[in-house]
Amino acid sequence: MKAKASTTERRNLRNGLLFCSPILVGLAAFTLYPMLASLYYSFCNYPMLKPPVWVGLANYRTLVHDPVFYKSLANTAYFAVFATPAGIITAFLLALLLNQKVKGMAVFRTMFFVPSIVPMVAGSVLWLWLLNSDYGLINTILRSAHLPAPGWMSSPDWSKPALILMSVWGVGGWMLIYLAGLQDVPIDLYEAAEIDGASPLQRLRHITIPFMSPHLFFTLIMGFIGAATYFTQAYVMTGGQGGPVDSTRFFSIYLFQNAFQYWKMGYACALAWILFILILVFTLVLFKTSARYVYYGGEK
Amino acid sequence: MMRRGYALLFFVSLLALCAGCARDSSTRPAPAKVVISVWHPWGGTQKERLAEVIAEFNRTHKDIQVRAVFTPNDLNTDQKLFTSVAAGQPPDATFVDGPQVAAWAELGALQPLDAFIRESGIKPTDYFAPCWQQNSYRGKVWAMTYCADPNFAFAWNKKVFRECGLDPEKPPTTIEELDKMNARITRIQHGRIVRIGIIPWSQFGNANSIYTWGWAFGGSFFEPKTHRITANNPRVVKAMEWMASYARKFDVSLVNGFRQGFGSREQNPFYIGRVAMQCLHISQLDDIAQYAPDLDYGLTYIPAPPDGERHPSWVGGWCLAIPKGSRHPKAAWEFLRWCCRDPKGTQAVGRMQSLLPGYRKSPYIDEVKTRPGYSQFLRIMEECRHQRPVMPAQNFYMGSLDRAVDYAIYGRMTCKEALDKSTSETQTELDMRLAGR
Repeated sequence: MKAKASTTERRNLRNGLLFCSPILVGLAAFTLYPMLASLYYSFCNYPMLKPPVWVGLANYRTLVHDPVFYKSLANTAYFAVFATPAGIITAFLLALLLNQKVKGMAVFRTMFFVPSIVPMVAGSVLWLWLLNSDYGLINTILRSAHLPAPGWMSSPDWSKPALILMSVWGVGGWMLIYLAGLQDVPIDLYEAAEIDGASPLQRLRHITIPFMSPHLFFTLIMGFIGAATYFTQAYVMTGGQGGPVDSTRFFSIYLFQNAFQYWKMGYACALAWILFILILVFTLVLFKTSARYVYYGGEK
Repeated sequence: MMRRGYALLFFVSLLALCAGCARDSSTRPAPAKVVISVWHPWGGTQKERLAEVIAEFNRTHKDIQVRAVFTPNDLNTDQKLFTSVAAGQPPDATFVDGPQVAAWAELGALQPLDAFIRESGIKPTDYFAPCWQQNSYRGKVWAMTYCADPNFAFAWNKKVFRECGLDPEKPPTTIEELDKMNARITRIQHGRIVRIGIIPWSQFGNANSIYTWGWAFGGSFFEPKTHRITANNPRVVKAMEWMASYARKFDVSLVNGFRQGFGSREQNPFYIGRVAMQCLHISQLDDIAQYAPDLDYGLTYIPAPPDGERHPSWVGGWCLAIPKGSRHPKAAWEFLRWCCRDPKGTQAVGRMQSLLPGYRKSPYIDEVKTRPGYSQFLRIMEECRHQRPVMPAQNFYMGSLDRAVDYAIYGRMTCKEALDKSTSETQTELDMRLAGR
């Protein structure tokens, strides 16, 4: 009896692995191998057309003394610190509004979701026009309200806020996650709270937000990773330079420049690994502390 | 059992298919023509015009067939070519931007052409000097000039000059005159620029602007014998200070915001009279004829200070090269030779693409001598003395200069500091690349 079970088990394992094999092979060939290779190259000088030469920690030593490395890190931190919360708050407020029972809600939901499926390059070009300091829609509105009209992408002080503003425009995906989450909040809790005389704000604070905390946490992590690797929009909108005055030279742009413009693949790999470690550490810290503010239904 | 049968059937049919493939390829007759692939960077109308050039080549060459593939490269994107060379599957010939030739040669992406050049009896003096210099690196020649772009002609809008009470037939010849005219032309209303005389750093990007004005002021950027970067040459600093003076005069964010409002072609600010003076690239002659046929403008030499360089200019333009690992280098060379040196070929390139050949004895050169616009560009080419530094860190240098201009015009650094920084960081990069690292 026992022997038979183990035969079945073994067959199941074999079949299971067989069914999984395409993705296992794919992961090994296209994720694991490149990662390990990049780790190796980060200890090499590797100008792509010549064989890599082992240089030990030289790339990492250069990196520690590289002012542009710190500048790009600071730019990225600025972006992550402002863009992630701004996106989360906007998406959450939108989801709350779009969760109301109003006629034609499907139309509103679609309208707010559409920006997130606009291709990134097309969206960036569109925003270049919206943000244009002379003729852009945003400055036209600001001027008509007698507010100062900043230079946006032509001003080193306003270029990052401009990109943050633009990133908030594309939060439709997160909004959708929140909308799904809001459907799961038990209605009886709201009813009980209402009977007890809780105000809408209290209901939001003590029922909605705790129940939504896993969703908020998920988007916080994803948002942070997305911000840390922010690239396409800044690349498109500044012609690949990260200007003006390096104000949008984000970490990924500097990495790209080293890899594909200056052919310093080894140095670029070192940069990539530093970024990977930073993201890993930050994500782990978030996860470790998450027990304090993330509530999974059913816990005591 | 049944399932196993299907699997067997599938396996056998797969084998049969493979065998079929093998037999098919072994019995295919050898092609009568050598088909070579050429990677080119042109889209839009230039792509169609290049197709005409290639059709002409194919028509006149019975044994070679060229297949053009749009695979752009520029100072920032060489990934495709490099990947193909590294993988041993490069195109047979490729277009390469002039200032990239040395770097690609240093990295081993190209093969030297000296043997072919000797065989074909080509002499350096057949070409405009800066064209030949741009392609010579470490004592070898790595590419042939496909088109010589005389950068730049200085264009002024005669209509705007008339409106501002300036003599429409008298363009500025010195920087002092240019400043005076700019002051007459520029109009700012309610904190917005209505019209500006010239934007010094808007001559095809920050880096090309500082090259243009740096040479105009009599500066130099590179010492080839000692491999020294000289971006902080006092005259280049002077040029940069002049550029930055415009940024201070008009608020740089305002000017750059104004710039961003425009595009190319029909939106070009010079074509619509919003910028009255501008360096003009040779390809814009056709552009203006097509998109702004009524534009009343003149062409002359770039103005320069009295102690600077008379009639300053530098050469740009595309070259053709043979990547390392090319499977048909001989056929590829024939394509290079025809496009870049053959009287008929250079004439075809000139006529079809409206580009100036680097081969100075091309019959096309005689054709444009009397043609309006082109004749001025030809005069500039004949006096042209400069090419961007021929060294393997040129793209790094361009990026560095680009940023130096940014830091200077936004007032985040003095011009001297910005150019000192550019000099030292590019020198470090160049030394590293020369050391083969």
